[in-house]
Amino acid sequence: MNLEKLLQSTYGFSSFRPGQREIIERVLAGEDVIALLPTGMGKSICYQLPAKVLPDSVLIVSPLLSLMQDQVAQLKKMGEKSVVAINSFLKPEDKEKIWNTLSSYKFIFISPEMLVQPFVKRKLGQIRISLLVADEAHCISQWGFDFRPDYLRISEILPALNFPQVLALTATATDKVTEEIKKYLGLKEPYVYTHPMDRKNIVYDIKKFEDGRDKVEFIKEFVRKFNGPGIIYAGTRKKSQELSVLLTEQGISAAFYHGGMEHQDRIFVQQQFQNGELQWICSTNAFGMGVHIPNIRHVIHFQLPTSIEGYVQEVGRAGRDGQPSLATLLYAQGDEVLLESLVMDDLPNEHEIKAVNRHGVGATHLIDQGIVRETAFRVISYWMTQLPIEGVISQIELLRSGKRLQVSKIRELIGLEGCLRSYIIQCFDQQLNDKPDNCCANDRINYDVFEAFSYSKEKQFSLEWQDRLGAILPI
Amino acid sequence: MLFSELILVIMKAVNRQRTISSPYHLIKGKKSGQTIQDIGYFGLYPYFGVLPKLDKKAYDQAVQRLFSEGYLLVNEQVVDLSQKALESDIAASPLNGWKYRGKENLFFNRLSLIVQTFSHTSQQIKIFDPIVSNEDVQSWVKKYLKRIGFRDLAVARAFKEELLITLTETEISETHKMIVMERLTGSGLSGLTWRQIADSKNLSLLDVQLMAVEALHGWMAAIERSKPPLLIGLMDGIIQQSSLTETAQRTEKLFGQGFSLEQIASLRQLKTSTIEDHFVELAMNDPHFNYMPFINPTLYKAIIAEGRRQETKRLREIKEHLPEASYFQIRLALAIRGKQG
Ligand SMILES: [Zn+2]
Repeated sequence: MNLEKLLQSTYGFSSFRPGQREIIERVLAGEDVIALLPTGMGKSICYQLPAKVLPDSVLIVSPLLSLMQDQVAQLKKMGEKSVVAINSFLKPEDKEKIWNTLSSYKFIFISPEMLVQPFVKRKLGQIRISLLVADEAHCISQWGFDFRPDYLRISEILPALNFPQVLALTATATDKVTEEIKKYLGLKEPYVYTHPMDRKNIVYDIKKFEDGRDKVEFIKEFVRKFNGPGIIYAGTRKKSQELSVLLTEQGISAAFYHGGMEHQDRIFVQQQFQNGELQWICSTNAFGMGVHIPNIRHVIHFQLPTSIEGYVQEVGRAGRDGQPSLATLLYAQGDEVLLESLVMDDLPNEHEIKAVNRHGVGATHLIDQGIVRETAFRVISYWMTQLPIEGVISQIELLRSGKRLQVSKIRELIGLEGCLRSYIIQCFDQQLNDKPDNCCANDRINYDVFEAFSYSKEKQFSLEWQDRLGAILPI
Repeated sequence: MLFSELILVIMKAVNRQRTISSPYHLIKGKKSGQTIQDIGYFGLYPYFGVLPKLDKKAYDQAVQRLFSEGYLLVNEQVVDLSQKALESDIAASPLNGWKYRGKENLFFNRLSLIVQTFSHTSQQIKIFDPIVSNEDVQSWVKKYLKRIGFRDLAVARAFKEELLITLTETEISETHKMIVMERLTGSGLSGLTWRQIADSKNLSLLDVQLMAVEALHGWMAAIERSKPPLLIGLMDGIIQQSSLTETAQRTEKLFGQGFSLEQIASLRQLKTSTIEDHFVELAMNDPHFNYMPFINPTLYKAIIAEGRRQETKRLREIKEHLPEASYFQIRLALAIRGKQG
């Protein structure tokens, strides 16, 4: 079969990106595959293209609702009609129809919590599945930065589906995480594709300050000197708003983006950024999923990231066009102490474990009453269904030491005197060969290339509504 | 109308007879008996459910500001309007919450997607990310566009022309019209967030959100009046046949089949007081409502007379003078009178 031809006719691309061809060939040869592809390297093509050839349905397990919605929208945009997304937001009247026609869908997206419901399990067991795709497979690992206990439940459904062929996709995974993916998905001898993590066109910079307030001055200076498009990861919702006001006051187009905004407003900000109506997005880590902008020049972290994996993923949104891009990490003395307490606070505490143990795993009222936090509740209740209470406590201890390790890696990155790039790559169990000329803060950065990027002035809006209508409908 | 003006207008209408939280329930569109019946008593139809997502904190802040700026005064148990508030000149508003019941969102979602489609197709762009992700709206718009033959450039032009004419006719300020336009998206030109719109006009979030609802109600009314061939199609399913809440409609149906109030309550497994609320709502909406099964004419007239004499709509005060009347009977009688102005 000619894969290039299929690619051309389906997507209109004439050639594969690195890795895609190898992965697709192995999938079509019937092998289990674990694919480590950096963000923006076209992960979804790795199952979408085989689906064109495979006889039956492709089941995609997706841990994040927003991610699922984005992929469904992308498929539909390409004219694919045979897509369905099964999640807890499904309307009852639609459910009935979907269950009755389940086998007719080529792409079935499903969230992990729906996957293990007995009824769903039975329905899935009745249809034929050519391929099970575990998207964002690193979420399965409790060592990962993004651990989602629900995700472990994929392993529970494998027997019901007669152990289908599996494709595990992830953007970031260390060897340890890969091992866990293998174990939980029951993959005996999978083909593992590892793409070099290093993105040569991204330059890593760290700026250190004595006082947190100096960061604000730095940002002011920075946006005067360099043009966007760029993302500033602010850490909190409040900070993202403050920074956006700061930039706007400088006469630079910026908007904030966070999960507390209404859905329509979030779409507007995404589109403005995509259209080039905005130079900067000041955001929490909610921004990025489903954003397909090739020419992002800057990613600035106003606060320390909580893990190297998360950092690499966020930084990876820059420079998809291959042009030079700058990742700037801002650090002020004491940030690492704050980070440690922030990360540790996220974990279930003793009090919460006791509460869930006393009231049982169904006691969601504990969340409503503010006794146990939602994520903590999910983690505890998952482990309580698997282990006796002593086991739960030691699991969470394990989780704690995992988090501590992640924080210590960030701390090490900050204190590093050697090459930042090679350190980051080593965190993924890879070695850096051929260092780019423009590499990192500890190897001297040439900023001139970044000053060269110009930004076409944003459109000026008129004050009359008739003019705006005319601009929207120039007919 | 600014959000603070909305609160003042409602407080004026209830004329010292309700607490400061009653505008909140009304604006949010709470379907409780008390709120529904107040709408009839005090003629609050326009303001029902105009901001269903209104946050209590934001509301309380707005109220606090009205106190601190001297519009509202605390007077024993009731809230008084100051002279400043009573004299304030608040422009007439096209709000019609009771009629449109939040359906302006459906109207606007349809409009957004249609305009976005025209913007792209008329510039030969076939693929774009739909600005509205609701699948019901998407499939409605697909059918609509197909029906009107949207690929024809002449159709797109006619649609734009209808937009221009009807919005020009709508009696609202230019700022209102701009707000609605700024929420629309075209090719390469995205809609603006509420925050962006508010900042650019030096208004608050609630102000611009309320103004958008006003603009849409006014615009929809203009479309209903002039019935332009393309735009009138967007009103499909938006003008409700009955302005009753669904639950009151069910009660009405059962009553029509000959069941008594008590029987309906036990059939529907609802409290008698809830069914009474439904009858009050029915009375408010139906100018020919027959009160005879519930109140004898002598008592009805006595309640109305007592209400007039005391110039009050406070149930307790009427009840003191007419102990033989039940609260339900008083509410029902006042609802009928409220309807007749
Ligand atoms: Zn380096």
